[in-house]
Amino acid sequence: MPQPKLISLATAVDRFTQNGVQYASGAALPIGSDTIVFGRELLRQGRNQLHAIFHCNSQQLNLLAGAGAVDKAECGFSGLEVFGFANGLRRAVETGVTQLEDYSNLAMAIRLLGGAMNWPFVPATVNIGSDIQYRSAFSPEEYPSTSKIPMITDPFSGRQLGAFQSLQPEVAAIHVSMADPLGNAIMLGTEWSRFELSRAAKKVILVADEIVHTDCIRQFPNLVRIPDIVVDAIVYWPFAAWPQSSPGLYDVDEDHMRSMNKALATEETTQQYLKDYVFSYQSHRDYLDMIGSEKREKITQTETSFLMDPYRKWILSADEIAKLVLEGDR
Amino acid sequence: MNSHKLEYTRQEMMAIATGRELRDGELAIFGVGLSMLAGYFAQAHHAPNIRAMTEGGVYGATPVGGLPWGIECNRISANATSFTNGVDALGFLVASGRCDVGIIGAAQVDKFGNVNTTGIWDGEIGDHYRAPKTRLTGAGGANDIACGAGRVLIMVAHEPKRFAEKVTYISSPGYLDGGNTRERYGFIGGGPSAIITTLGILRPDPNTKEFQLDAYYPFSNIEEIKSNTNWELKVSPMVHVVPEPTVDELKALRKVDETGALRKQ
Repeated sequence: MPQPKLISLATAVDRFTQNGVQYASGAALPIGSDTIVFGRELLRQGRNQLHAIFHCNSQQLNLLAGAGAVDKAECGFSGLEVFGFANGLRRAVETGVTQLEDYSNLAMAIRLLGGAMNWPFVPATVNIGSDIQYRSAFSPEEYPSTSKIPMITDPFSGRQLGAFQSLQPEVAAIHVSMADPLGNAIMLGTEWSRFELSRAAKKVILVADEIVHTDCIRQFPNLVRIPDIVVDAIVYWPFAAWPQSSPGLYDVDEDHMRSMNKALATEETTQQYLKDYVFSYQSHRDYLDMIGSEKREKITQTETSFLMDPYRKWILSADEIAKLVLEGDR
Repeated sequence: MNSHKLEYTRQEMMAIATGRELRDGELAIFGVGLSMLAGYFAQAHHAPNIRAMTEGGVYGATPVGGLPWGIECNRISANATSFTNGVDALGFLVASGRCDVGIIGAAQVDKFGNVNTTGIWDGEIGDHYRAPKTRLTGAGGANDIACGAGRVLIMVAHEPKRFAEKVTYISSPGYLDGGNTRERYGFIGGGPSAIITTLGILRPDPNTKEFQLDAYYPFSNIEEIKSNTNWELKVSPMVHVVPEPTVDELKALRKVDETGALRKQ
């Protein structure tokens, strides 16, 4: 029989991560669902020298890099879309704190697919012929690089293809809209590469905005793209993606997206941000207060809220969840 | 040319000129920001059956409440008919060769349509890779679209610093060194068919693949465009003026651009 796997956020970071860990975030990137609160907790517990594997940048990578906790990063898109350049990541890259290895968005997805299949590499005809292939931040002396995306020959047609090294991150924190206590999860909105990542990563922690009864999972099994058998732990944390959005639950917090990114532009203002928004809360209640009731009211008035309607009757109460977390943390 | 104040902005002209390149029924992929506005403008105006998707795998959606903050924003998740994933959208539908057209942006573009969105360096990078002086957004899905889409439309503000003889870093390939060099890599996509700017439209010479001036706007002229292009820009013998946006076109664009992102400058 599968057992409940709910644990607290602090326990999850303590139990599954260490300095230098190869850490992947599962998100709808760059400004959608993300386990941003997991990144905050990594900083709260002083984790550093991280090797970040992000399909795309998000405010989480922006924050982690801006705080100086990321030695190496691999990602596709590295901005914040309409919110502009990612100032924290940008500063870390420009000053040499973070080595950023560039790929495209498809390349990151197929590298995770390769990891899920336990293949050594995946062939494709993207990224080749451009400086994504020729330039390597991890092996800067090699130009043009022949080890980052080496050319291989299709044994059937003789055609030349690029070989993309598979990824099997040591630990992944994957944001989901809802999960049951066993770790069966439903994602609303685009998955990006969360499906592949859940099979590629060696350890998988779900960060869920809502916890639902397993009856809900049995009602919609086709929508359960992450089943409990690949999940090691579940963290319940409403507004886990804030200030980013979670379809069906809350919209992006435009003001905080801007002020956070502005703060991450300098070392000094980043320290202030960490003090105010990372080290400032002691509980989930504090965290909600930090966002503010007015702001929560505003962002939960989302045009997407109807997406949650089919699931609402199965949402577990905070008390029910708290009991399971107490058992899980033992 | 009218001497009175324009009834539309340069950015709106660029978005409408881009949208005019899209044909009804095409399978199309849009990035965020300007390219999304151009694409959904086409859908609202002359291409109602365009099959639009985003690279994260959002299908059948039209933005609500203004320009989406990103391609996975709730503003484009409120009326979707399918949510899938990146392997599906960028792989099954773009890298496979199914996608007819993609729209991408550029920080810097060169005369062969190669795009840099990765960084600004002081001078050449050199043989040893070094971090850029100014780090930009990276390639994102634009590289995949540039390799796989049937044709690619590049939207870019027409400023000298953005129009280089050769980009410092190729984030997304155009015609690489020109001529048939693109064929060497076996890309399934055909390459960029136009660079659409705030001043005019450039198209590639069919043989050399060098981009030349094909058209200018009612408010711009050939000399102005040449002086804003940092390579010896050739002018097509067929060069012409792009028709002004019609009332219907502006109405359709502004319906999509509800928050006025294109009217701010």
